[in-house]
Amino acid sequence: MSDSADTEILDIADLDQEAWQDYAIEQGWSDGLPLVMPTEASVARMVAAAHGDNEGFAPISPRQVVPTMASLAANAVMAGARPEYFPAILAGLRGILTPGYNLHGSMATTHSCAPMVMVNGPLRLALNINCSSNCFGQGWRANASIGRAIQLILLNVGGGKPGVMDRSTQGSPAKYAFCFGENEEECPWPPFHVRRGFAPEDSVVTVMSGEAPHNINDHGSTSAEGLMTTFAHTIAQPGANTIYGKGPYMVVVGPEHAATFHRDGWGVDKLRDELWTRARVPLKNISDENLAMYIATGHRPTGDFLTIARGPEDIHIAMAGGPGKHSAFIPSFGGTAVVSTRVKLPSA
Amino acid sequence: MRIVNPGFGLTPAGAEQATEDKVDWLNDPIVLFGNSKPNARELLEGVKAKLAGIRRTDNIDFIAKNSASQGAPPEMINDAAKKYRIALLALGD
Repeated sequence: MSDSADTEILDIADLDQEAWQDYAIEQGWSDGLPLVMPTEASVARMVAAAHGDNEGFAPISPRQVVPTMASLAANAVMAGARPEYFPAILAGLRGILTPGYNLHGSMATTHSCAPMVMVNGPLRLALNINCSSNCFGQGWRANASIGRAIQLILLNVGGGKPGVMDRSTQGSPAKYAFCFGENEEECPWPPFHVRRGFAPEDSVVTVMSGEAPHNINDHGSTSAEGLMTTFAHTIAQPGANTIYGKGPYMVVVGPEHAATFHRDGWGVDKLRDELWTRARVPLKNISDENLAMYIATGHRPTGDFLTIARGPEDIHIAMAGGPGKHSAFIPSFGGTAVVSTRVKLPSA
Repeated sequence: MRIVNPGFGLTPAGAEQATEDKVDWLNDPIVLFGNSKPNARELLEGVKAKLAGIRRTDNIDFIAKNSASQGAPPEMINDAAKKYRIALLALGD
């Protein structure tokens, strides 16, 4: 291998906080928000938190360079992450770098996708990752800085500069940080990672190239059937990217909606099957021109509908949030996979 | 003061670009590579029509990857690299 970006250590002039922020922005390192300075000492503390993790990384698109542990840690420091968050950041990155995730496509697309990061297992509690009220929102250092660190890695190591190699037409607030935990404690179903074959005591990071969450508000329905009517029609959007970029989507059920589904005997498989057959876009909601384009590119209707997934296996159900009658739909970019990676905790 | 470069990375072994012979733009075969987005074919056909004014077009062909959201399969890229000297790509929407 050869160095592709100057040197790993930069000797720069002594800078105060304000001058450092200006310098970092001039370098193109910032997402627009202030950054913590990645001193050698702070980066070393971050790297130490991944002690024993000797697995390499694939090249990061679109720049196609292989990161070093120090360059990854520098981005985690800049994002404001605590060292103990670093193994979760690395697990998320490894998921993003699997071929199925399609990082290059999701970075170069005009779609507004960003890495959705969901954490399962004991590490959620150890790191104080918010899984409950406002879990997609502000206020938790772990959620904010884990999601932000991954974004900064894609920006600085991966070279996903907005408007240059990140070609998103409008972008998304999710591109700042999009990390939450599953509310396993209130979930009536087995946790997401256990349903994917991991042990309950494993800590697992799941990623998907997704849009920001879309709210599903239903305060009136008191039955699973009633809720499903709202869920299916909210999800079946004529502007869904997955009509032609076929791929997965996530439904993050709020705890009160989950309790109603569970009380009526609906498990995860039932939810997926019902969404597969009912969350379809009626042809009457699609313009003639757009329908012609879908057909010309091989995406033919199923009866009077267009599907937004390839089958029930593309529909992923998780549970997060706090009190309230809200759930969320997280559409994907389409040509991506939902990838779950076990966190490698540091060796003693 | 010393900081760690957040953009530092290593070029994978074997990724260096090989130097090829000079391209003959008037005679070498060209592939027009579509990205499967609407109108990509029309755009590239327009490029071919423009090229007809300055060079031969009997060795200009059109191919397209089969998904707008995913990269072209490596075998498709390799086949194109073997058959053509020039690739003109349709990018964006």
